[in-house]
Amino acid sequence: MTIRTVVNGRPVTEPIPVRWTLAEFVRDRLGLTGTKLSCGMQVCGVCTVLVDGRPVSACSYLAVDVDGCEVTTIEGLADAGSLHPIQAAFVDHFALQCGFCTPGFIMMAKSLLDENPRPTRKDVVDYLDGNICRCTGYQPIIDAIVDASERMTP
Amino acid sequence: MSVLPPFELHRPTSIEEVVELISWDDLPYVGGTELLLAMRAGLLNPRSLIDLKGVAEITGVRAHNGAVRIGAAVTHQQAATTEVISEKLPELPPVLLHVGNPRVRWSGTLAGNLCFAEPKSDVIPFLIALDATVTLVSADGSREMSVREFIIGPYFTARTEHELLAWIDIPVVPGRRGTYLKYQVMERPTVGVAAVRLDEGDSTITRVVVGAAGEVPVVHDVDHAHPDRSAVATAVVDALEPIDDLTGSSDYKRHVTAVYVERALEKLERM
Amino acid sequence: MTRSAGRSVPRSDARAKVTGEAKYAVDASRPEMLHATIVRSDRAHALIKDIDTAEAAAIPGVSAVITSDDLDGLFPRFGHIVADHPILAIDRVRYYGEPVAMVLAASRHTAADAARLVRVSYEGLPEVMSIAAALEEGAPLLHEERYDHGDESFGEAMSDDWSPSNIAHEVCLEWGDVDAAFTDATEIVETTTHYPMLYAYAMEPYNALATFDEGALEVITTAQHPYQVREDLARIFDLPLAAVRVTSPFLGGGYGSKSYTKVEPLAAVGAWFSRRPVKLALDVEEAIYTTRADSATVTVKSAFGADGMLTARDFQLDLDSGAYADNGPLVLAKAVHRCFGPYRIPNLRVRGRSFYTNTTPASSYRGFGAPQGNLAGELNMDQAAERLGIDPGEIRRRNLLLPGEEVLPGARPLDADLPADLEMVLESLDSSRPRGPLHGIGFGASASDAGAFPVSTATIKVHADGSVTLLTGSTEMGQGSQTALAQIAATELGVPLGSVRVLQSDTAITPYERTTGASRTTTLTGLAIQRACADALEKMMAMVSESREVPVEDVKTSDGVISIPGGGDLTFAEAVQDWFGSRAGEVTGVGIVRKADSTAMLPPFWEIGMVGVEVSVDAETGYVTVDHLATVGDVGYAINPALVEGQDLGAATQGLGAALFEQLIYDGPQPLNPNVVDYRVPRSRDVPRTIDTMLAERRDGVGPYGAKGSGEGALNPIGGAVAAAVGRAIGRWPDRLPLTPEYVWRLMHMETEAE
Repeated sequence: MTIRTVVNGRPVTEPIPVRWTLAEFVRDRLGLTGTKLSCGMQVCGVCTVLVDGRPVSACSYLAVDVDGCEVTTIEGLADAGSLHPIQAAFVDHFALQCGFCTPGFIMMAKSLLDENPRPTRKDVVDYLDGNICRCTGYQPIIDAIVDASERMTP
Repeated sequence: MSVLPPFELHRPTSIEEVVELISWDDLPYVGGTELLLAMRAGLLNPRSLIDLKGVAEITGVRAHNGAVRIGAAVTHQQAATTEVISEKLPELPPVLLHVGNPRVRWSGTLAGNLCFAEPKSDVIPFLIALDATVTLVSADGSREMSVREFIIGPYFTARTEHELLAWIDIPVVPGRRGTYLKYQVMERPTVGVAAVRLDEGDSTITRVVVGAAGEVPVVHDVDHAHPDRSAVATAVVDALEPIDDLTGSSDYKRHVTAVYVERALEKLERM
Repeated sequence: MTRSAGRSVPRSDARAKVTGEAKYAVDASRPEMLHATIVRSDRAHALIKDIDTAEAAAIPGVSAVITSDDLDGLFPRFGHIVADHPILAIDRVRYYGEPVAMVLAASRHTAADAARLVRVSYEGLPEVMSIAAALEEGAPLLHEERYDHGDESFGEAMSDDWSPSNIAHEVCLEWGDVDAAFTDATEIVETTTHYPMLYAYAMEPYNALATFDEGALEVITTAQHPYQVREDLARIFDLPLAAVRVTSPFLGGGYGSKSYTKVEPLAAVGAWFSRRPVKLALDVEEAIYTTRADSATVTVKSAFGADGMLTARDFQLDLDSGAYADNGPLVLAKAVHRCFGPYRIPNLRVRGRSFYTNTTPASSYRGFGAPQGNLAGELNMDQAAERLGIDPGEIRRRNLLLPGEEVLPGARPLDADLPADLEMVLESLDSSRPRGPLHGIGFGASASDAGAFPVSTATIKVHADGSVTLLTGSTEMGQGSQTALAQIAATELGVPLGSVRVLQSDTAITPYERTTGASRTTTLTGLAIQRACADALEKMMAMVSESREVPVEDVKTSDGVISIPGGGDLTFAEAVQDWFGSRAGEVTGVGIVRKADSTAMLPPFWEIGMVGVEVSVDAETGYVTVDHLATVGDVGYAINPALVEGQDLGAATQGLGAALFEQLIYDGPQPLNPNVVDYRVPRSRDVPRTIDTMLAERRDGVGPYGAKGSGEGALNPIGGAVAAAVGRAIGRWPDRLPLTPEYVWRLMHMETEAE
């Protein structure tokens, strides 16, 4: 079936098989490979994208369900080449190593800060319960998000 | 990454259309939180999926006959942040924030959680504790039953082949207090304890519902506002039929169930 | 100019990784590419009677269904130490999840649909699911034939007299007179521990994209060691190394689990068979069926004098290594070298065995055999301290090796100050402060013969505009090599960091690198880069000498400038352009590291682990919370301190996962938890309240500026430290990991249960 959606601000009309996941749609059809795949069970968070501003696991979300919605992937965050404050904070805090989980963490952080601009450290930890990082030990990620919230809402 | 099996998609806009389509091979969905995983794992292979998101009658939350009515298409996050629930059922939102993670809460629904009848659900014990009911609609009419009756066993409900769980009604009871505490080491809880206190006529009832530790929730009512915590814990554990799994052995589950029943009652007393 | 080395400059790959632009192997695609899906065994041990592919092959869009029968003319196995691993099962399966057939189709969906239709008939064989079962009299044998040896450098585990047995490999180590020392001992302390079967969970599951083009094979893959994979592929297809190109882009995690060949032969066989590019991307469950880490049962007996000095240690290590060798023999050898601890031991005996069982093949994982043995060795020291009435810090102080002392006969003397590292940890933990009930501290040490066999080469190109390309075969898998290696090159050449670009891990283009493992990159690749830079500078000075007609000995260089007598300073760009006579040309510097000169003696360095934790235990549930984590990165010199601390915290966190939660559980023939829902890794809520990642920079390493490696050290002693801390908190020594709440609760109540 044909879906009409807006991806990272760009209108997209595409015919797709109904069994495609949102991850397959953005990665394979749109070439937006910044969205990663790992656990396939909604617990690791690497495939997080925003649909109408809400975070979803693109690995387990039907692409047809973004028909009529706005989708934001990691590629849609930087504004005209300048990093989003969350992205900048991740760079500054060494909040990534292999980087495979990074797009998912950043999209979750975006969703959190949209909902709650000045979260406590505990708010951040709780919100990230469904995101796994196997490299960093999390502390730099939590630091980066707390710092980003301060940069965005001084 | 494994893929979903092929299926057809329906997008009805009314309950009538849904109940025309619904069957064991034609499954309703909203987020597909649990359904899509089961399909990818090969556990379910439906002919079609029926998207409920376009059915206006079941997409909202509203006050109805002394209860709050939550439509089948309402997500955990939506319910947790809806004004009518914050006003009339303030005990519910904190429990919904225990479910999965933010992504699961944004796409998963309370109704889906009930229909899946996952024994480790956080929502089911609390809905039982609140005396919630479900309304099942089919082409032949509708019927209402308590969530307690609806959940028959693990992954097994009273819903028949051509019925849609249309909405959940949670009675609004002034002065009711409720809490939910869970013990969770793995991705899913070892034990979840809902504890509710409400006035019924002259007496006060304290109700404890224990989920996750056994295959079906255990419900225990005491006719007292501040029951002996240890006695309640013992009674609940006696009624519990825990199974060994990755969240703990049955011995350990009995032990932590007693611990968490006491902790939940202690918390309830402070409410 | 500010020197690049020694500063926490931001990661050079960070921007690409936060914007989603970073390309991983799984993101690669080719026009006309086919997708592969693997049909896997649902038996742990069985003969294959028949594979019916007809129904699957008939699905529109399916190009081929391949079984081992289709591999005629190929060498059908791989394995760099023992080539025992069939690409597709040959007549028999030896573990649940073993690849049996491969479906190629135009889309991933079609391939998956068709794979569900491949019917395999089996005749069951008795299964060997544990070490105990493997050792039983008359136990079924997993392997009855002896396979080709791959790696010649691995002599230790390969003996000439051979008879079929489920003992896959044996490695022994002995010096002194152990038996006599035990006879004379004041105190003998014996400890047995069990280390769980682990899954590394590198978040990008194994995947590869293979293409055959004009007789040459190209593979883009998730391999840490592309050069090692190249050798396996060359043998399979009987191709010269020059005709096999293996590329490793950014890796989504490695941690050793992407060492050596995994899915590359499958993708390559698909491409060879179909004459089309073939992409194979596993999911997490399939990754668990590809590699895991060895579980182990270790018994250690230590003899002490009345002064608390070790007089002898005797270790027995048994590793469950699964169905095929993979890197198991080397893991065993390393486990044997790493179990006894960085202590002065006059008499030592270590007997290590690894066993074939009908489980996923085990291979390298961060720490590489060290954590398994260290748990037993360090807990044994704690128990000895208790028995002898000595403080656990003090017993280590007395026995720890001093700088320059011998760890292993014939090996490099210890290049670290362990007693000083220990004091840093004890101070961080405030170890003399009394702890409340159900609180405890634990700490431990390890020294690993790290760096692996030293073969590294590096190329530096100084271009006509003065910018620099660094070519290295070391893979960027998160450790930050792209950044740290550029820092070394910029420092050596005296140029700004921004003018150095790094190109990594493409066997057709980058110079040879033996592996990216064993914490070797900063030290060995770093040395090769220093030499390449020196070579490039020397060449440029010679060129300037020629083009400006000054004696070469009068040409000098510093800070990115080449100077000649009379005050003439030339930039690198001018030096290159002058000599070539136009705005063209470049200068190539080559650097080589081999088992010679400063790296003649093995290991290239000792990787130190020195960690401590404070834990609290919930009285009612047994739940263990880590309140304080202290690590010492004894790295000689930190080229980029933030990267080193990141390695230490990351390694320690993985260690905490194994200590508290992680274990792959077999329930009969198949794993009970082959997914991330049921295999519990550390989450953000598990982060210790206080984290103290300390660095010890004593410039005592063989690498650039005195550097040594990091990345594994902080993991190795974590398990023992947490076990000791929990033991002190509850007054009972654990004998296994993970310390799940239920296990701790049972330990706390053992006495009452026994009564």
